[in-house]
Amino acid sequence: MSLLETKAITVRFGGNTAVDDVGLTVDEGRITGLIGPNGAGKTTMFNTITGLQKPASGQVLLDGDDITKLSPAKRARRGMARTFQRLELFLSLSVRDNVRVAGDILRSGTRKRFDLDEETDKVLERTGLTDIAGRDVSDIPIGRARVVEVARALMTSPRVLLLDEPASGQTERETEAFAGMLTGLAAEGLAVCLVEHDLPLVMRLCATIHVLDYGALIASGTPREIKESPEVIAAYIGTEEASHG
Amino acid sequence: MSTFLTYTILGLVLGSVYSIAASGLVLTYNTSGIFNFAHGAQAMFGTFLYWHVTERWGWPVWLALIVVVGLAGPAMGAALHAVIMRGLRGTADVTKIIVTVAVLLGTVYLAQWIWNPDEAHTVGMFFGAGAKITVGGVVVRYHEIVCLAAAVAIAAGLRVLFTRSRTGVVMRGSVDDPDLLRRNGHDPERAAMLSWALGSTLAVLAGVLIVPISGGGLDANALTLLVIDAFAAAMFGRLRSIPRTFAGAMVLGLAANYVLAYLPSAGTFTGNLRVSLPMIILFTVLVVLPQDRLRGAAVRTRERYRVPAVRAAAVWAAALVAAVYLYSLLLPESGVTTFALGMTFAIIALSLTVLTGYAGELNLAPLAFGAVATVVAFHFGVEGTGLAARMNIQGVLLAVVAAALVGGLVALPALRLRGLYLALATMAFGEFLSNMVLRDTTEHHLFGTTFTLFPDGSLVVPPLKVGPLDLRDGTTFLMTATVLFALIAVGLAALRNGGYGRRLAAMKDSPAASAMLGQNLVRLKLSVFMISAAIAGLGGVLMSSATGTVAQENFSFTGSLALLMLVVVAGIGYLSGALVGGLMAGVGSAVLVSTFGDLALANEGMATIYTALGHLVLVGTALVGMGVGRNPSGFVHDIIDGYRAMRDAKPVLYGAGALGAVLYVLALTDVIGTWTFALIALCAAMLLPVVGRSYLAERRTRPVPLELAGVDEPYTDELRARLDRELGLTAALEKGGARVTA
Ligand SMILES: Nc1ncnc2c1ncn2[C@@H]1O[C@H](COP(=O)(O)OP(=O)(O)OP(=O)(O)O)[C@@H](O)[C@H]1O
Ligand SMILES: [Mg+2]
Repeated sequence: MSLLETKAITVRFGGNTAVDDVGLTVDEGRITGLIGPNGAGKTTMFNTITGLQKPASGQVLLDGDDITKLSPAKRARRGMARTFQRLELFLSLSVRDNVRVAGDILRSGTRKRFDLDEETDKVLERTGLTDIAGRDVSDIPIGRARVVEVARALMTSPRVLLLDEPASGQTERETEAFAGMLTGLAAEGLAVCLVEHDLPLVMRLCATIHVLDYGALIASGTPREIKESPEVIAAYIGTEEASHG
Repeated sequence: MSTFLTYTILGLVLGSVYSIAASGLVLTYNTSGIFNFAHGAQAMFGTFLYWHVTERWGWPVWLALIVVVGLAGPAMGAALHAVIMRGLRGTADVTKIIVTVAVLLGTVYLAQWIWNPDEAHTVGMFFGAGAKITVGGVVVRYHEIVCLAAAVAIAAGLRVLFTRSRTGVVMRGSVDDPDLLRRNGHDPERAAMLSWALGSTLAVLAGVLIVPISGGGLDANALTLLVIDAFAAAMFGRLRSIPRTFAGAMVLGLAANYVLAYLPSAGTFTGNLRVSLPMIILFTVLVVLPQDRLRGAAVRTRERYRVPAVRAAAVWAAALVAAVYLYSLLLPESGVTTFALGMTFAIIALSLTVLTGYAGELNLAPLAFGAVATVVAFHFGVEGTGLAARMNIQGVLLAVVAAALVGGLVALPALRLRGLYLALATMAFGEFLSNMVLRDTTEHHLFGTTFTLFPDGSLVVPPLKVGPLDLRDGTTFLMTATVLFALIAVGLAALRNGGYGRRLAAMKDSPAASAMLGQNLVRLKLSVFMISAAIAGLGGVLMSSATGTVAQENFSFTGSLALLMLVVVAGIGYLSGALVGGLMAGVGSAVLVSTFGDLALANEGMATIYTALGHLVLVGTALVGMGVGRNPSGFVHDIIDGYRAMRDAKPVLYGAGALGAVLYVLALTDVIGTWTFALIALCAAMLLPVVGRSYLAERRTRPVPLELAGVDEPYTDELRARLDRELGLTAALEKGGARVTA
């Protein structure tokens, strides 16, 4: 059984269907890719999984439990964490406090006690943010800002991590370090779901890839299968032509 | 039966007018994304204009209608949009609300300046009150038929405009996606301007129609509150749908009249209930509305606040207490009392700092929570009578708890929804309280006890006495209030620096992200609202006891809004902003206006000029409030920045300190007057950063050896760049940066 699973998710905005009957799985200890051209419905899918968007129909299962009706906060407390494509950093807090506040929130609801300072330092160290920990998040480069979102998510010690285009805006060196970190996280048992337009990166990191096009799931499989799938090629070439023409 | 028919028709007529007002509100909100709290104020201003041209100048009704409703109305709306509202795109919701609140206040102040509120102004019905027909035994006046017909025509017209016409479609789209509209060749600003013009016209029309059917007397405050009735109606359509707004308005109008018809009219209860109906209905609707979609940081707001360390806050707090004490020695008895009153307002202002500055939520009726606390303290905490009467500490504590609990109850229904709804709920609650409690002068019998909530329409609130500490003495009162302010301020600084404060900041910056970290937003908002209400309650009890005898007017909505506005202008994110804003609200404008009033009495020749100056001060503060969109962090922010830069200009600081000491001694020995001292000190404090800057600029010209950089000089960006250059880091940095912008 997969840790995270969606069943026949459909999301509509007024008349148009952004996600159409999509079922996908995300497994523990692996990086799962979710790709598709612009507007394919990837972010909408993430919003539905995390509870920010109500689906018209379908279910979200975490560890076999139906969590479709739960609030985002409850899902987070069950081990779900994400980053945002349009950055949602806490602009009035420093880099360090952006990460730390995740611990503050977690601790506020439960009796769980741990040394927040130490925990924060560990996460900063691991994500390579220690050197900018004291800076305002509003004046760091976008590539690093995306890493802050990842660090903040990691601070909640999640079981599933959903990343929405985390590498866009990163330098090549940053991407390299980031890829290494992701592999390490997956090796520790985290279920990672990665939305990314950098296809070579996705092909390299992911064990399984799901492909969306116009809201529909058009292919799922290993990187090799995806590369050879005629539907995927058609979808990507279609957008190439559209963007060139 | 004919009673029923009569009241039904009256209800429909009242509903018609609500519907006209409400649809204007819905129109501007949907087109510009700004909820216009000044909608009722515009109605009020337009109606005064109408009165002026018909009664003062004797114009015929048709000409007055063309000029006031047809020209002045749209002009007022278009001007508002052009000068103020269009600059608000991309600002935080709080800023948008504050700006329209400032417009509301400015309009009220202006109206009270032009049309003396002590004189009666009455507006008659169209065709006169005698023009009527009788249908099935029920008398219907022509004026009422006009109301009904106008409402139906307007609702239908707006519906067609929104759904059928191109302009209407553009109007609807211009909030959600102005860029998309622009790409398609439409002009969202033009649509917004049109909607402001139309909305303002509808407001004016509603005002001219409603005054005659609600007694004919024109009252600036009452008509300004038409906005509450309007938004209660608009809530039925979730501030979006015109047909449902129309239905909501009718429900409201009918309910108001059935209450009059069928509830016992003895005592003040029924009359009070009638005016409170919109608020009751509003809360019912709030409870049943579905939850809002969680939103991210929709706008990159321009507000920036520095958070003080707890130690720094403590040092400043101690300095404040010392400075207030030293200054109080210079003041006459009456000055000390006024100052103390100002300090109690500053405590209430702290409730806004934590709620709005830290958590990003709004309370438009802070004084109402002060009123709740006052009523509780009066009933449960007063010992002794006459001059020997004192408030005990248990009473104050109970009052604070009551304020917190009532705050929780008021906020709860609105918390699932966007911040705007909480703001609306608090404003409605403030009015409810004004009507139901502060006017409740009748005896109630409940569980075998007899009590009167607000005997004689005013309460005498004695000063607090705790052990040997007796606040009857003015200076003791002032110092106690100051120490309390200082303690709460330090407490809030500690709160903001702790986990709770970080969680508040996170919620304010991005509700979506903080929910995704596991934050229960409703619980967090509820807790902070209760903390805020408790602080407002404490400040309120002290304010009442500093005032001595309080009545409904001491807790009026204009008072609450003026306080909020001044705190925002000073800097809502800063504890010092609460101090400055609170003092301005409690003392500043009151002292200035009364000083001008005294001057006017003393100098009869100049009387008109001085009276005008007094009004000008009020209107001026509102004008500053309208400008808050340009500097949303407040002026305290700029001053603090100025002083931060001066930490290295030690000689200038020492010099200023010496000057201050000399001035103080001069004032203490009566060589210079208190006013002169205050003025010189204020000017010096303002000018100090300027002097310091030029001093620093001169010193900067001698470059520091690089090894010492950052040691006794702040580590600036400029310095960082210099270091990078020396160490050969520039090339690497630029390479890294190039990819970022790609
Ligand atoms: N709140 C919304 N209201 C209306 N339509 C929306 C909303 N959010 C998304 N859509 C539409 O749903 C579709 C899917 O959007 P989504 O953002 O999920 O795509 P995406 O795959 O994340 O694209 P990208 O790669 O550009 O991020 C798009 O057509 C978009 O216009
Ligand atoms: Mg996306």
